[in-house]
Amino acid sequence: MSSKVSLRIAREGSPAKPTLGIDPEELASCVSCGLCLPHCPTFRVTGEEWASPRGRISAMREVQDNGAAVDAAFLSSMETCVQCRGCEPACPSGVPFGSMMEATQAELAQRRRFDLRRWGFRVLSHPRLLNLLSRILAVAQRLRLVPSKRLGLPPIPLAQKRLRPTGDDVWLFTGCVMDAWQRSTHTAVKRVLEAAGAGVALPGAGAGCCGALSLHAGLEGHTRSLAIRTMKALEGTSPILVDSAGCGAVLKEYGKHFGTPEAAAFSERVLDVHEWLAAHADQLPTAGEQRQDVTVAVHDPCHLRHVQRVHQPVADVLSRYVTVVALDDEGLCCGAGGAYAAMQPDLAASIRDRKLEAIKRSGADIVASANPGCTIHLANAGVAVRHPLEIVGEVIDHDG
Amino acid sequence: MRDLRQVLPSDRVRTAPLERSLMGRDASIFEGGRAGPVCFPVGTEEVQGCVDTARRHGRAVVPRGAGTGLAGGAVPLEEPVVVVTTKMNRLLSVDADSRVAWVQPGMINLDLSRATAPYGLHFAPDPSSQQVCSLGGNVGTNAGGPHCLAHGVTSSHVLAVEVVLMSGEAVVLGNPDGWAPGMDLRGAYVGSEGMMGITTAIAVRLTPNPPAVQTLLLAFDSVDAAAQTVSAVIADGIVPAAIEMMDNNIIRAVEAFVGAGFPTDAAAVVIVEVDGLPGGVAEEADRVVELATARGGSVRRAADEEERALLWKGRKSAFGAIARIMPNYYLHDTVVPRTRLAEVMNRVYEIVEEHDLQVMNVFHAGDGNLHPMLLFDRREPGIMPRVHAAGAAIIEASLAVGGVLSGEHGIGMEKRDFMPLMFSEADLDAQARLRRAFDPSGMANPSKVLPTGASCADINALDKVPDGVWG
Repeated sequence: MSSKVSLRIAREGSPAKPTLGIDPEELASCVSCGLCLPHCPTFRVTGEEWASPRGRISAMREVQDNGAAVDAAFLSSMETCVQCRGCEPACPSGVPFGSMMEATQAELAQRRRFDLRRWGFRVLSHPRLLNLLSRILAVAQRLRLVPSKRLGLPPIPLAQKRLRPTGDDVWLFTGCVMDAWQRSTHTAVKRVLEAAGAGVALPGAGAGCCGALSLHAGLEGHTRSLAIRTMKALEGTSPILVDSAGCGAVLKEYGKHFGTPEAAAFSERVLDVHEWLAAHADQLPTAGEQRQDVTVAVHDPCHLRHVQRVHQPVADVLSRYVTVVALDDEGLCCGAGGAYAAMQPDLAASIRDRKLEAIKRSGADIVASANPGCTIHLANAGVAVRHPLEIVGEVIDHDG
Repeated sequence: MRDLRQVLPSDRVRTAPLERSLMGRDASIFEGGRAGPVCFPVGTEEVQGCVDTARRHGRAVVPRGAGTGLAGGAVPLEEPVVVVTTKMNRLLSVDADSRVAWVQPGMINLDLSRATAPYGLHFAPDPSSQQVCSLGGNVGTNAGGPHCLAHGVTSSHVLAVEVVLMSGEAVVLGNPDGWAPGMDLRGAYVGSEGMMGITTAIAVRLTPNPPAVQTLLLAFDSVDAAAQTVSAVIADGIVPAAIEMMDNNIIRAVEAFVGAGFPTDAAAVVIVEVDGLPGGVAEEADRVVELATARGGSVRRAADEEERALLWKGRKSAFGAIARIMPNYYLHDTVVPRTRLAEVMNRVYEIVEEHDLQVMNVFHAGDGNLHPMLLFDRREPGIMPRVHAAGAAIIEASLAVGGVLSGEHGIGMEKRDFMPLMFSEADLDAQARLRRAFDPSGMANPSKVLPTGASCADINALDKVPDGVWG
């Protein structure tokens, strides 16, 4: 990787740089039919055009094509987007909404003089610092010094067991916050992979954050350096398995963002862990029948369902061990959206209320979700929620 | 503004330039509409407050649902008060025994069918935009949809409407019990495109879900054979729930999106759905297959609900899918006698060739409701006059064989100036007087549907569609 790599969204050096840096062809591709509206969580809870994909694209056009001001209304329209990309599979015209929103966010980030997120996300690239801060946060939580619910924080563990590599059949991408706060999920995932006969390699302290949060906040330089480091830490040809949907989506799009053969080859190796397990289902241990009476509702994280389009494998793997029920809300976002729940708490809570109703209607005992953001956000509303492979791991352990 | 904030909480009255420009258009090709204050009422009284305030200030009122209209009916002209119904989206009551539900106008069409699914009931009109369009908009345009062939369009499924008139008064037209004495004012109101008042509640008739459904995909080597099969099915006495036709261009566009296995080499496909009791359905489906194969068609039967849903997804996403080919489209909506379908379609192909454009056809063949879509890129210099000339020629060709201006999208701004092609001065005057009986002020969605000069009451109407509105 050379330092000349430029993110596709940056469009550096193009002669007449449009105001928002959005590809004009992409911007022209929306025909305003409105079929995206019901699939947008913020439109669903507000019923307002500026909070819909069609409205946001129109607003982008007003600024980029017609020279409208980047005013408070425009900022609010962009900042309230969860970036769930639920509009993309719903769009018959294949409008690349995520790409346009990333370009807009990058432009807006450049205009901000102070961005707290810039500093916050920087911590994510330093695993040791992140671990240290996490332990301090864990102590502060126990002393009730932190308003955890309001900040959307989960109970952070005081100490965590170290993970040890067991082979080199597959890489398990461990990430940043998830490794610092929810390593027990990685432990369970690793346990299931080993039960399927795979030796698991770990990136260790060399890799950290994949860059998803920075990318969504428009901090492109930061995203780039995180990506370069991640690619370096996960060398070789083994598949790279990811148990966090948000990270997996970005890792799979490195190729698209960087446009280099190395990045494309790296992205080719990335799989959601459920994709790999579903393809190796014959190696998974069979389950005792007694567990089928547990009913699990699958909440598909947006970046698994809409971006990676991995919906079936989660249900396929889970249904070997428990009874799986579908939610009837067509995979609408839960409102977590990475840092969204912290940045837009009111909208995030309204969006979550819809999800809670769908969960209630399903009659499930427990909810499975393969993304740390979703599990934290839902758990804060009192939902019993686990990573799908934690549930599978328990059944395997129980059956011995 | 200040007065509007007396009748609505201030966060539900908007004047930001962005908000007003977003309200300036719907899903039609009209650009350049401009909204005044944008209001988000949640109930009838708030709508009355908005209308009262607008009247006192001499402002027109334009209602808007999900903004999926294709004829520009919701496009605001001259900065009227825009009343958006999306926050009036509740299901007010369901009487499963009588199969009637009261809904607010902002409820999404498909949400109603989802909400009544536990009772085994659904709302029959199913426009292609049903996953997003509002029931208030369906009432305004008297919307249709594939399944209206057997079940009838929106008007057949609306028992009563609560309407806020421009006087500020709320009245109920029709009767949820099924029939009302006296004149059918409900019938006059459905399809009035916001020109008589604002719908604030609707009593809809719910339809039992059919016990059996069979969906067939028929593929043909020629448009003529497909059209003849459509006519033959109806002539045979079968009334399928839906008969939809798609030509080769649209088949290829849609297949790229849904991957449902549509035959991309066919000149045309026809989707036929028959429903009812299992025995009858099987018999009718067999008969349709016989009629199709006799005309050289090949047949695929949807094996299960999943395959059926995929075929319909292909059909219903057709309009948006064309953007994979060109960034803009102009979707037409005329109706011609079923027996003249092939003839008019061939004429459409000629017209499009004459104007050097591309066209795709996907439509409700069962009731002769054509939807030619002209594809273009509005950034191409000089393209718009060609698009409009071709559009006008298509309308003329449809009327020439005894067709009508619009099947279901409404007249709005789009077809307004074509009304004299179809109606005499006396017809138009009668329509204008009917409208005036409901809205003497002419301030309810002005300058739509009725051309200028239809009535002297239209003093507020514009001479022509203002410059810049046609995109």
